[in-house]
Amino acid sequence: WPVGNNNSLLHPFNVTIRSDRRGTCKGTHVVYACVGYCESSAFPSRYSVLVASNFTHNITSASRCCTISKDAKIKVRLDCPRARHHDDIEILTARACHCDMCRKSRY
Amino acid sequence: VTTQLHGSFRGCAVRDFSFVAQKPGCRNLRIDTEACWGRCHTWEPLPEPPYVQRHHRVCSYGRTRYLMVRLPGCQPHVSPLYPYPLALQCHCTVCSTQDTECETF
Repeated sequence: WPVGNNNSLLHPFNVTIRSDRRGTCKGTHVVYACVGYCESSAFPSRYSVLVASNFTHNITSASRCCTISKDAKIKVRLDCPRARHHDDIEILTARACHCDMCRKSRY
Repeated sequence: VTTQLHGSFRGCAVRDFSFVAQKPGCRNLRIDTEACWGRCHTWEPLPEPPYVQRHHRVCSYGRTRYLMVRLPGCQPHVSPLYPYPLALQCHCTVCSTQDTECETF
């Protein structure tokens, strides 16, 4: 995918959802993720950081990561061939991306 | 991994870095060292189930040498020693709060 001034861009991938382990009902849909190259750096910490961390944080990392800025719900149809019916399930997909806060829980 | 320089650079590399070492009770000293800078491959797939693993890695120190500099004009009760890291190698990695002040903006 092209990377220009905006380094965090939408990227399509297929998601397959199964109703159970056996795949009684299942459906596949294209959704979008945010993928890209955002700027980050690491450098010696300021003295105030050294003191506050009891001289354990000698390095400071300043970073941005590719994240979802806008999302949308889409319906995925799950086909259930044996039961001869289908179910719809809603999932989220990315609609816009940007370089923003790295989320620690998502590292 | 270095692919290109400047605006389109992707990867994480050692880069010259200057800073002013400041410590109460001593005079400031400008220090030239090497630090890390780059653009790491990061992604965020889905904000809700079905989750796919997020990947937020940042450019940080891989191999590090710690150096000690002596600050000038320190008061008698203040140690003139000031430690700082020199990056020998940088890589895209998880920011570890064990040894790093992780800031994001």
